[in-house]
Amino acid sequence: MIELINVTKIFPGAPSPSVDNVSFRVNQGNICVLLGPSGCGKTTILRMMNRLEEPSSGKILINSENTLKSDPSALRRSIGYVIQQTGLLPHRTVARNIALVPGLLGWPQEKINSRVDELLKLMGLDSGDIADKYPHQLSGGQMQRVGVARAMAADPPIMLMDEPFGAVDPIIRIRLQDEFLKLQQQVRKTICFVTHDINEAIKMADYLIIFNQGRLVQMGSPVEVLTSPADDFVLSLIGDDRGVKILDLTRAETLMEPADNISDDLLGSGCTVQSYQPVKLALEVMMKKNQDRVGVCRGNHLAGTLSWSDIKRHINKVSGEESEL
Amino acid sequence: MSFDPELFIHAMSHRAPPYILEHLNLVLIPMCIAVLIALPTSIMLTRPAYRRFTSRIMAVFNAGQTIPPLAVIAIFFPFLGLGYAPAILALSIYALLPIARNTITAISSVPQDVKEAARGMGMTPWEVLRKVELPLSVPGIMTGIKTSAVLTVSTAVLAALVGGKGMGAVIFAGINFFQAELILAGTVYIGIMAVLIERMLTLLEWYLSPSHLK
Amino acid sequence: MDIINFTLNNAGLVLEYTFNHLSLVLIVLLISLALWISTGLIISWHDRLAGTVISLSNILFCIPSISLFGLFMTMPGFGLGRNTAVVVLVIYAMMPLVRSVYLGVKSVDASVVDAGKGMGMTPLQILLQIRIPMAWPMIFAGMRVSIVIVTGIATMATFIGEKNLGRLIHQGITRGDSDMIITGAIIVACMALLLDFIMARIQRRVISPGLRFDT
Repeated sequence: MIELINVTKIFPGAPSPSVDNVSFRVNQGNICVLLGPSGCGKTTILRMMNRLEEPSSGKILINSENTLKSDPSALRRSIGYVIQQTGLLPHRTVARNIALVPGLLGWPQEKINSRVDELLKLMGLDSGDIADKYPHQLSGGQMQRVGVARAMAADPPIMLMDEPFGAVDPIIRIRLQDEFLKLQQQVRKTICFVTHDINEAIKMADYLIIFNQGRLVQMGSPVEVLTSPADDFVLSLIGDDRGVKILDLTRAETLMEPADNISDDLLGSGCTVQSYQPVKLALEVMMKKNQDRVGVCRGNHLAGTLSWSDIKRHINKVSGEESEL
Repeated sequence: MSFDPELFIHAMSHRAPPYILEHLNLVLIPMCIAVLIALPTSIMLTRPAYRRFTSRIMAVFNAGQTIPPLAVIAIFFPFLGLGYAPAILALSIYALLPIARNTITAISSVPQDVKEAARGMGMTPWEVLRKVELPLSVPGIMTGIKTSAVLTVSTAVLAALVGGKGMGAVIFAGINFFQAELILAGTVYIGIMAVLIERMLTLLEWYLSPSHLK
Repeated sequence: MDIINFTLNNAGLVLEYTFNHLSLVLIVLLISLALWISTGLIISWHDRLAGTVISLSNILFCIPSISLFGLFMTMPGFGLGRNTAVVVLVIYAMMPLVRSVYLGVKSVDASVVDAGKGMGMTPLQILLQIRIPMAWPMIFAGMRVSIVIVTGIATMATFIGEKNLGRLIHQGITRGDSDMIITGAIIVACMALLLDFIMARIQRRVISPGLRFDT
């Protein structure tokens, strides 16, 4: 658990604080996303958590211990750290890169070796002889995966990730995000994730914290932020399509109407979605089957229907009076 | 043996100065020759037609730099005897290498996309050279010329061995007679000449540089 | 011009001079590597010293070799002979070595250092496990340059009494014997090229394959 209490950071010679009296908590087992435009202070906050920067005032507690009281190197060895440029050691193989922190901690060699194998498998890097390759021989996606594997090597309960998927193509980025979310379901680490990409933030976050010019502007789950943006800044950050964005986060069962006799045809023609699937998928099915409604199923039986007008009404409600769908 | 300040001052004010002009000749003339030969040749070597030869030529140049200046100076002596001419010839050849290397490197490292943009706008290859490649290479070329000039000021000292005189005469006299004062005086003047020439070339570089690099 | 005959007829002399030249260069190399690589590492640690040390090495490097040999020769305690030659040549090796070590260590990719620091490496561990290994290509380049330079300047040591290939060249001038001059010049050039080649081979062995595509 990470806690920031009234943290402020002023860089020498800067006209205003980079981080201005920020307080928040990152809960155990959650992915907390720090979101905001460049220069809003989110990376500085992240770097203060593992003492790569030190707060000018205020304190940071990790598992109730003040970070300033521990030895910095020891602190960092207990926290996973992933950066956008990966920072892989170019003169070491993938395996030796991953083995870095365990090596620093003095693990016995067999333990290190088996952990490296475990991680390679976990991150989908166990094909071919990737373990013996050097960073410059890897693709962008592979490098990022090695970066994550390396951060997880000593199995730290906390991980700090600074735009870790920023340097790869959009297609690979989506894949990496999906893989990481699946991983997180297994390992349930406490993660603080920095990004400037609203879509990535909504996808990855258990909850979001939005920053602007060093100040904390809004905190909440993705749905909360999308439905009730705190001010114009957040509104502009989210974008005009927030009504549509939220379709991705809303489950079909939330908006469905009770089933009626007409809807049996829908089952027959396969024009259905599962109840837990996002409304956006329902829209896609509607378009594919050229219908204006879909059946919502739980397993094999029909639980209700979802129509185009239901969705339209919801978007209007979410977007407020401004949108004209 | 002790250092005699009076002898040193005498060397600085009377013994060495007569050789200054001679030494400058031994620097400026070879530099002019070297620049006149090296620049066009290097530019030519960067043209597409000759690109295949470039790495081999550079290898020859690099190998050439391993020959110590003493040897270069001495090589012409058997054919041309003692005197001014062989010294100038040898110094010119020795001065060629840094200029050629730096010029080729500088022109080759002009970014490809800048050149292509110029071609795309309709410049002929000659215009691309004159208006894009050369102006952007000025810093690199001038570094080569400056390096070469400072090197030549130093190497010209050896001209004294083959009858070219110059400040080397003072320094070698100091060695032969075990007089540090002479060696020091000669060295000081060499240093002054090197610094002055370097400053002047830096001014020239500033004058020739395209405005965005200033 | 009959170099081959000359060499064969004076094989003993040529070999003696070549051997003296090579041994001088190697002694200088060993001392220089030990001295200047540590200096380079120290100034990369203590930045304040860096500017002064590097400026000093630049200035020393620009002094004509004959002057430095001559000046040291006239200083009490030095005189003619090998010791003086070694000292002067070690001074000339300073600039390329200190510069390349300093630049190599300093210009290591900042994001790798940041990652190392973020993962919990102490400054010493960063120096030993990141900066120095990543600086090797540049350090090696400096070593090769300094070896070639020292081999060339060592010819000038003949003026302070060393009996090496420089003497072959100088005597060739005094006697008007072109074979001597050319033989001397060729052997020096070959020695420099050979030493550079050997260093290049060692470089291939020593430097991590992960770094090689850089150089």
